[in-house]
Amino acid sequence: MIKLVKITGQSLYPIYREGDFVVVSKIPFLFGPVRPGDVIVFRHPIYGLMIKKVERCVPQTGDVYVVGMHGHSIDSRRFGAIRRDDIVGKVIWHLKKR
Amino acid sequence: MIYELIEKLDRRFPFERAKAHCDIPCGIYDPHHAQLAALTVIRMIDLMNELVKEHGQQDMEFHNSMARYIAVKEQHAELCKHEVRIIWGDYIKPEHVQKYPELHELTNNIMKLGSKCRQTTSRETAVELLQAVNRFAEIFWETKGIATKRAKAPYKPEEEVVYPVLS
Repeated sequence: MIKLVKITGQSLYPIYREGDFVVVSKIPFLFGPVRPGDVIVFRHPIYGLMIKKVERCVPQTGDVYVVGMHGHSIDSRRFGAIRRDDIVGKVIWHLKKR
Repeated sequence: MIYELIEKLDRRFPFERAKAHCDIPCGIYDPHHAQLAALTVIRMIDLMNELVKEHGQQDMEFHNSMARYIAVKEQHAELCKHEVRIIWGDYIKPEHVQKYPELHELTNNIMKLGSKCRQTTSRETAVELLQAVNRFAEIFWETKGIATKRAKAPYKPEEEVVYPVLS
């Protein structure tokens, strides 16, 4: 239910930087839906474990569209929506690299 | 304190990585292409001047060579702008601008000089473009803690270029 992961890559810069740690959990989604603005970690069949910001959700299907913070980010603009089942969790704690 | 502790744990028992994936190979930036492009613009203007001086009659050969020089000048002035824009947009961070307050104005100036180089055949403008790109390169390498030196390019137009001093 709770997972600690380390961030690689720059697509969420400057909020999340390479080397930062985040704790993610599915617990928040037991009490409410995924919302735009949530930062989530999910598994993508090609890119593996990824972290992105939720742009919009499709209530009927539970699909979620995610984006990075800048134009070069690989996100839903490239690979489309991600499935609700592929979400590992929402970021509930962010530990910045010093 | 907490970060250091988790970092130590991570070194011993690595946590899973979550990719904030980018489209381009993150971290691969080099102003060298912009400098080469600016040098090429100067070289093309020199070749255009030589052609006008040496080629008495404006025959097909003349027009063919001139068209080629102009095309390359256009292309490289634009390439210079593109390369600087990529570094400015993707690499330069607020802390760099804080340390080098001239960065935004310098980049804007490079854009304008690049456009002017396309519009005109002024060698002075092309040299100005190279000088501005050299300063941009100097700042870029400084942000990486790499010293630079200035030396004349070992090929025409033999203008001064900023090089990183790599060990």
